[in-house]
Amino acid sequence: MTGDPSDNPAPQPPPLPPVIPPGWNAGPGEAPPVIAPERVAPAAALFEGRLHPMTLAFSTWAVVQKFIIPFIVVLFLGRNQSFSALFFLLLLIIPIAVAVIRYFTFTYRIENGELVTAEGLFGRTERNIPLSRVQDIRIEQGLLHRLFDMADVRIETAGGRGPEASLSVLAKPEAERLRAAIFEQVSIARGTSPATQPQPVSQGHVIRTLSVRELVVAGLTSNQMASVLALLAVGFSLVDDLLPETAAERIGATLGRMAEELFSQGLETHWVQLLAGAFLLVAMGMIFSVTGSILLFYQFTLVRNGEDLHRSFGLLTRRSSSLPRRRIQVLKIEEKMLRRLFHLATLRADTAGSRPDQGEGGTSGHDVLLPAVPRDEVEQMLPEFFPDFERSEAEWKRVSRRAIRRGTAKGSLVCLVLAWGLWTVQEHWIALWPLALIPLVFVLNVLSYRHLGYWMGERFFCTRRGWLSRATHIVPIRNTQAVVIRQTPFDRRHRVATLIVDTAGQANTGGGPRIDNLPWNEALTVARTLARRAAETRYRWKDQADARPTLSHQQAQRFESPS
Amino acid sequence: MKECRYRAQASMDNYPTQPVHPPVSPEAGEPGGPEFLPLDPQVITLWRIQQLIGSAVLMGVLLIPLFVLVANVRGAFLPAAALWILIGLFRAFTFFWYPPRAYRAWGYRIDGKVLETRSGVWFRVVQLLPLSRLQHVDLHRGPIERSLGLASLSLHTAGTVQSAISIPGLEAGLATRLRDQLAAIGGDDAV
Repeated sequence: MTGDPSDNPAPQPPPLPPVIPPGWNAGPGEAPPVIAPERVAPAAALFEGRLHPMTLAFSTWAVVQKFIIPFIVVLFLGRNQSFSALFFLLLLIIPIAVAVIRYFTFTYRIENGELVTAEGLFGRTERNIPLSRVQDIRIEQGLLHRLFDMADVRIETAGGRGPEASLSVLAKPEAERLRAAIFEQVSIARGTSPATQPQPVSQGHVIRTLSVRELVVAGLTSNQMASVLALLAVGFSLVDDLLPETAAERIGATLGRMAEELFSQGLETHWVQLLAGAFLLVAMGMIFSVTGSILLFYQFTLVRNGEDLHRSFGLLTRRSSSLPRRRIQVLKIEEKMLRRLFHLATLRADTAGSRPDQGEGGTSGHDVLLPAVPRDEVEQMLPEFFPDFERSEAEWKRVSRRAIRRGTAKGSLVCLVLAWGLWTVQEHWIALWPLALIPLVFVLNVLSYRHLGYWMGERFFCTRRGWLSRATHIVPIRNTQAVVIRQTPFDRRHRVATLIVDTAGQANTGGGPRIDNLPWNEALTVARTLARRAAETRYRWKDQADARPTLSHQQAQRFESPS
Repeated sequence: MKECRYRAQASMDNYPTQPVHPPVSPEAGEPGGPEFLPLDPQVITLWRIQQLIGSAVLMGVLLIPLFVLVANVRGAFLPAAALWILIGLFRAFTFFWYPPRAYRAWGYRIDGKVLETRSGVWFRVVQLLPLSRLQHVDLHRGPIERSLGLASLSLHTAGTVQSAISIPGLEAGLATRLRDQLAAIGGDDAV
């Protein structure tokens, strides 16, 4: 930490020598693996700036906003009004003073391939973030920000609990310029795209945009209540198809008679109210989820610009996020029950820096890569995220068939216990209805067995599970941090085990790939192969040759050409 | 997990170096790779001492509800005492029965650039760590471990579910050498 009380940029340090990895003890006859210097950028500060003067207004507004309601309450209900007003003004002054000091002391600059932020009046804090470590750059504009063309910029790396640098607020063009500068520096340092000039995001290759219609569908299908209703409707139509018409008529007649009886007993208001209430609840839920979906994801665009993926979305609050695609640790194709019914899928991606959204008034939408797209499109999109993806749909491997028996036994046991419990309460044959569910348990287990599988290629490991709602995980093997096999005593009786592939950052995908009921020997083979392949491929991409060690020229061309 | 971890001090390098342990029983080895290495047999003593301390604390704490129950409920003494003794007997059983089996179940090997550990008597666990993903290594020595000449290693990755893999009960000098060896194989390819 160098002390630099003035606002002038610090004097330039001399260029750094090549770095030898820490912890390296030179063995006899072994040359230390020198890391190629990444900092090829010129030593002069390429980019420097301060927060926009509007910061003062914005932070004052944020403070006032926080205090305004208690202030009004106290002003109107308190006894000693002048005193309490004074008290609140004093309370206001401290955070505003902090914000003012922050504005006047905060500087940022890009130099030597690092983003350097400095702030503080008495204790000066300087933070250097190597640009090659940047995982995600987020630009966020609330309604007020958009009114004044301002933006918050958050820069995330793999470490820490929150964003590593939070620049609030910058002018929007300045924010865009900063983002472009960071990505340009990274690509120069990597030598990935030497010909690439700093391109505006708009010039990239558009992977997908979402129309309002699609957002409405996404909103409708995200609703849990609606899912239940839709399932009931599907179930009813199935029953309708299966039952002979006479039976349907008879049921209808019975229902009619029941309704008549109820009406005659003066219960009609109850029924009508209940039905109307339920309907209203579902309708409200639908309206909420549809408006939520449109508010959050309005004008959603996913663009690929060279190696970087850019997302921007939002009706009132515009958010945009830029992440290098090689930073994707795990990709999850999520098909929840209702979405699966409509052949829709949600894509979620995790970077090493991703952590669950906390507070800030609900979700920020950063946890999904694509909110809802038709399932068929996903396959074609995968090369956009993983340029070296090897696709082969046919090679899904199933787990041990014992999974069915185990699952059925487990489910039957639950049914048995339930039936026994009901029997002790009421000794009537009706109490044994849980036993009738056992065939259903068996069918469900067969179905879930059929949809449980894994697939291992040279560079990718995929798992999928679930029949009603399905989750498919795709992990580039180079991202494997550890492979774990667990075997419970029950597992051992069936000679099976659970395989877990651990990667960095699994907040958005809700846990990485995990596959149960794999035969023990197969699990060992898969785990060892995965671990060896991970050890032999590089996690960090130094250059193209390293990144795709086994990709032939022809394949590379196929993946490179934008479709 | 152990609360306090600290980096190995330089003085540890002065420990007498011993040859690496001989391979464990052949059925534990897997074809196509080096044999699994066992922990130091002293680890059985370590586990027993740890279990003894744990048992003493547990039985002491369990005395409190026992006394409360006996003081307030008439006729509760016999069943409560029986339960207490039963728990004690179970602890004693595991004291004798468990550690040797846990020792036999434990094994680790370095196969090329991958560290593989296996452990667990009832719940078996196999962990594989590509050493190039190693973030940092902790070498821990508690007071009991030190008196037995043992050390344990914690290998940290950038992972989420299994961000640390620990190998308990290694002979101290071996642990130090193993740490250096693992870090050297690992190279620079972590997050």
